[in-house]
Amino acid sequence: MPYRVRSASSVLALLVVCTVWELAVRLLNVPRYILPAPSAIALTIVKYRDHLLLNLFDTLLTSTLGLALAAVFSLALSTVLAYSSSIREAIYPLLSGFNAIPRAALVPLLALWFGLGMVPRVLTAFLIAFFPILVPTLTAMVTIEKELWEMLVAFGATKAQILTKVAIPRATPYFLSSLHMGLTSAIVGSVIAEMVASDRGIGYVILSSTSRLDTPLAFSCLLLLALTTFAISKTLGLIERRVVRWAYRAGL
Amino acid sequence: MGNYLIKLRDVEVRYNNRNGGLVAITGINLTVSPGEVVGIVGRSGCGKTTLLKVIAGLVKPTRGEVIYNGSQDGGGFRGIGMLFQSPLLLPWRTVLRNILLPIELRGEDLDKYVGRALELMERMGLKGFEDSYPWELSGGMQQRVALCRALIHRPSLLLLDEPFGSLDAITREEMWVLLQGAISYENYTTILVTHDIREAVLLSDRVIVMGGRPGRIKAEIPIPFRRPRSLELQYSREFNDYIAEIRGLLGD
Repeated sequence: MPYRVRSASSVLALLVVCTVWELAVRLLNVPRYILPAPSAIALTIVKYRDHLLLNLFDTLLTSTLGLALAAVFSLALSTVLAYSSSIREAIYPLLSGFNAIPRAALVPLLALWFGLGMVPRVLTAFLIAFFPILVPTLTAMVTIEKELWEMLVAFGATKAQILTKVAIPRATPYFLSSLHMGLTSAIVGSVIAEMVASDRGIGYVILSSTSRLDTPLAFSCLLLLALTTFAISKTLGLIERRVVRWAYRAGL
Repeated sequence: MGNYLIKLRDVEVRYNNRNGGLVAITGINLTVSPGEVVGIVGRSGCGKTTLLKVIAGLVKPTRGEVIYNGSQDGGGFRGIGMLFQSPLLLPWRTVLRNILLPIELRGEDLDKYVGRALELMERMGLKGFEDSYPWELSGGMQQRVALCRALIHRPSLLLLDEPFGSLDAITREEMWVLLQGAISYENYTTILVTHDIREAVLLSDRVIVMGGRPGRIKAEIPIPFRRPRSLELQYSREFNDYIAEIRGLLGD
């Protein structure tokens, strides 16, 4: 399908969903605190825009900081683990074990250690986001074809050269696409931390609004979060296509 | 013979696996003179690729020794050019940067070799493709790029492992002509591993026939035709007598 037709068709689908939703809520007389109509959500966003944007900014700040930390840490750690198989064998089981801990359960501890400021929120985002970035990046680095490896060694390459000239470039598309997963994970992390141990951010707004049965405000938060995550993800996708055009050579 | 480039003395390679050891090749004695083209033919699993890896310094013999141009350590093996069945080009690098890879790995000044790279490309019919990406080229062209890369640093030894096995018959003949031209032009000492008897006889000064398990050298057949040889040679009576002789040695 041509791009225009495709985007027109998805806009149409969105309109249909909203119309059905709006009609269902009005015809069935669903109370606002159970399920607000799309029009009510839109009005709430307009009404509380300053409050919402301020808290949205807060959530985005902590989650992107967490994501950036996770990206840098994952890249550095995969490079080390790819370089040394003995370090990899020692540390990787520990990392997998850590990944098995539900990170949300750590928020109270992080709040205990670091207070209610930004730190526990950034750390939660980081802790949830780093594993989904590390795994594909490391896998791409350590799965260089045997023949290619042998050819490089025959050409006199050192292990460090194989890592910098082949393993890291090879892992770049995997790393960049894992940032999408990392982004949504980081936002989940920030929102959870805001719900558990914060007095600001979208997570906090959702929690406090639902406790007042202000469901339209909670829905506004969800909608804004979804929209911004979508926008950031699209931007990442554009960067990805530019940086690693070679990885999309088949044109799929 | 005093003047040799590489000498293998009673080489044996044993691969250790779970069932103990598997002897891949044994009792290999082989001397290669400078400027000589040696073909190694044999069936799959006869150890010919293992033999090539021993010569490349990628596999250490479990018995015997490999003497390279008089020095007994494997460290002198930097001057090797290698070409495999698959071109093994790096998709994120342009053709030119792929060709310059061995120079980069040796830490030499790239600018000094750009001229040579362009000249090699022109001789291989790749003129104008230096800024293309490997995946934009056909299989035959990719293999020619790989050949340029194997030759860029003027290796003292050129090792070819089934280099044209994945190409169609016509492209393969073109590659024979190009390879023979390149070998003659700069007088490369070459070891060509292949299961294509025709290829071995057409290109080599001497054909080593391997067979058995573990793999041994069954015969050495000098091929006295003057190089460079034309493709028409393969239709001559004498040429086909060599083919028949080697085919007979490989058994059924």
